[in-house]
Amino acid sequence: MPEIEALGIVKRYGGLVANDGVDLSVDRGEIHGVMGENGAGKTTLMSVLFGLQAPDAGEIRLRGAAVRFRSPLDAMAAGMGMVHQSFKLFASLNVWENIVYGAEPTRGPFIDRRAARAQVAALAERYRLAVDPDAVVGDLSVGVRQRVEILKALYRDARVLILDEPTAVLTPQEGDALFGVLRRLAAGGRTVLLVTHKLHEALAITDRVTILRDGRTVASLRTAETNPREIIRAMTGRNVNLNVEKGPPHVGAPRLTAVDLIIAGAAARPAVDRVSLSVRAGEIVGIAGVAGNGQNELVEALVGLRRPDGGRVEICGVDVKAANVAAHRAAGLAYIPEDRAAVGSALPASAADNLAMGFQRAAPLARGPFVIPAAFAERARALIRRYAIRIPSERVAVGTLSGGNLQKVVVARELSHEAPVLIAEQPTRGLDIGATETIHERLMAERDSGRAVLLVSAELSEILALSDRVLVMFEGRILADLPQERADEESVGLLMAGRAQEAA
Amino acid sequence: MNGRARWTATSPRLRPPPVLLAILFSTLVGGALVLVSGHNPLRAYAEIVEGSLSLDSLPDTLNWATPLVGMTLVAAIPLRGGMLNLGGDGQLVIGGLIGALLPLVLPGPGALVSIAALAAAAFGAGLYATLAAWGEARHGVPMLISSLLLSYPAVGVTSYLARFPFRDGATGLPQTAMVPTEARLHALSGALSAGSLLIAAIAVAAVFVDRRTVAGYELRMRGKNPRFAGYGGVRLERQAIGTMFASGAIAGLVGAIVVLGSQFRFIDGALLTPAYTWSGLMAALLVRGEPAGAILAGLFFAALQTGGFAMQRETSVPRVLTLVLQAIVILFLAMRQGVGRRSP
Repeated sequence: MPEIEALGIVKRYGGLVANDGVDLSVDRGEIHGVMGENGAGKTTLMSVLFGLQAPDAGEIRLRGAAVRFRSPLDAMAAGMGMVHQSFKLFASLNVWENIVYGAEPTRGPFIDRRAARAQVAALAERYRLAVDPDAVVGDLSVGVRQRVEILKALYRDARVLILDEPTAVLTPQEGDALFGVLRRLAAGGRTVLLVTHKLHEALAITDRVTILRDGRTVASLRTAETNPREIIRAMTGRNVNLNVEKGPPHVGAPRLTAVDLIIAGAAARPAVDRVSLSVRAGEIVGIAGVAGNGQNELVEALVGLRRPDGGRVEICGVDVKAANVAAHRAAGLAYIPEDRAAVGSALPASAADNLAMGFQRAAPLARGPFVIPAAFAERARALIRRYAIRIPSERVAVGTLSGGNLQKVVVARELSHEAPVLIAEQPTRGLDIGATETIHERLMAERDSGRAVLLVSAELSEILALSDRVLVMFEGRILADLPQERADEESVGLLMAGRAQEAA
Repeated sequence: MNGRARWTATSPRLRPPPVLLAILFSTLVGGALVLVSGHNPLRAYAEIVEGSLSLDSLPDTLNWATPLVGMTLVAAIPLRGGMLNLGGDGQLVIGGLIGALLPLVLPGPGALVSIAALAAAAFGAGLYATLAAWGEARHGVPMLISSLLLSYPAVGVTSYLARFPFRDGATGLPQTAMVPTEARLHALSGALSAGSLLIAAIAVAAVFVDRRTVAGYELRMRGKNPRFAGYGGVRLERQAIGTMFASGAIAGLVGAIVVLGSQFRFIDGALLTPAYTWSGLMAALLVRGEPAGAILAGLFFAALQTGGFAMQRETSVPRVLTLVLQAIVILFLAMRQGVGRRSP
């Protein structure tokens, strides 16, 4: 009998379906990886399992019995523990106070401090989690704080321990130490659910992995019997017809250049580590990589949403020092952001208002300081027609649209900028085949019309189908710059897993 | 596309029914309160309506509405962009004091002096309000907190100035000397002054800017999703500073209008006692900063409060009831719209 099961979990946030019938089955004493790209629904699934979110449909079974958690307190009472990405600790209290908080041993009305401290020390000893019970949490390093979180769960006798991206904030050494702890826990009969998008971690420590994509379970694999390529394909590959019509590129001058870009990360290693790249007019350069290897930070610096800690960015020959989007856009940049709902649109605003953003200061939408509402509407209607956006009228709020149609709104707006440089980040994530093909054709048309296109995608098939050159990003660095003819699934897949030697 | 259609299209949750429903509910609750206190609710409400909307009382209502609608715009303009200016009190007294002092020292023809006083009051208070925006942009102090806290030194310092260095020796009260007659704002009808026209013009301008200018569009988009506005190239820090300046300038103007139009001097505490800032904030919250709706809400509250005085005179139901009504309207509305609830 599985220790914990999720059956057909559905969770919607407004129009967004985060979990769309997820199944998960984890055995007792197993280290089970839950993998997927950003936005695949991993964190949502964990929130549902831990009672932070109530599922809209589906069932959770703990040791065969259906359970319904109304809050994390219910989940903890049933023997679940969770270590969140951002720790939930009181920085000003010491370690044992944090661990016993909410379940303090008492003597009469008072906390039995001695017993509490002794229990914490014994627990730390038993699981070889070296922490000083009297240290103040605010003084501890991130790795030690994570141990405190784990002890907190164990103190409540958690039989099932969920860790959400636990190594994201750790140094490699701390990560190794954590894995040692997890192995001991599993050997002791506890069940570990490890959420990660790092391939090598999953391969190194898990017994099985369940892979989510677009809110659905796409594979459940025995780690010993699988390989990196199979996992990457499951995480990113979609059965999309990627026969994009593609002539030879007519490459011109460099339009987008980054030189030695450095961006500090949460961990010891920088998020972006001396990245240099150049995109020329008339070519599509794809950045491949498993999500979370610095692509987001790199793009944020390129578009002006983040000030780099070193290096510089040039757009059409202009050294854009100012870390603001307006300056980057003025130099000639259009940008399709990864998150169309949180960044790429204003959901409560009308399609007309959404499609106008970035054009509002110049003719035909504006005359001097005044906007021309009729021009807003006319422009919106034209774009809605040209991109076949399914919307009743341009006055309707875009929050009512499906993901694919919302993405068309974003793409339509950014492409109509006719800026020399286009950065497209996960442009087809979560879209159906038809919408994906439309957007791929658009991107090719942009390239053929002489634009410099930087395509960032965690979806390898998309990168390979569209790119004239492929850069592979791993742990903040660009491991390779491959021309199209040398970029195949095998070599790029290995590079995405950080195995430069084997790929070469 | 006409204005009406755009309004409903861009703000689907601000349609009138919830507002009317909230007013209806609060009327019922208020009526129950009156009943419990041993009075006739129908009579109390009749007095409120009579005392605010009858031909005789309409000028009083408009006079009361002048500062209240002004302070409604002070709250509504930043709110339209998702920002809160809670420092209206401080900006109001800064404008009031500048408006009271400048005519005492400035020579020249009366009309020019009053225009200069109004302009200086708006500018001074506007600058003061930008402090909060600057604090958030440069030092990460949330504007919600800093705008409110900056109010206290402004109120304290203006109070000191009116009580000591600039105290009117003739009366000995905590107030400045009278503004020369020529520099006062013209009376139009009864207590109504040219200041009312000025606020009306600003109200019309606010609606126009919101609907028909680039700045208004960018502010609306920021209010709906600040990350989207930033991603689209709106300079958010600069926008916050400009918005707060406009908001504070209107507050300063309101202060100077009250001083030059009805009190003719800066009387310590007189600008704050009616709590225009907070009534205005409530009116703005009622429609989440949409200017036309905010102006209507401000007028509604002004009528309610003016009617409250009449009710108190005629029925001995205390006028505090109208403030209770105001608050309940907001509460019901907050319940219906889930203000502050996290949207996905």
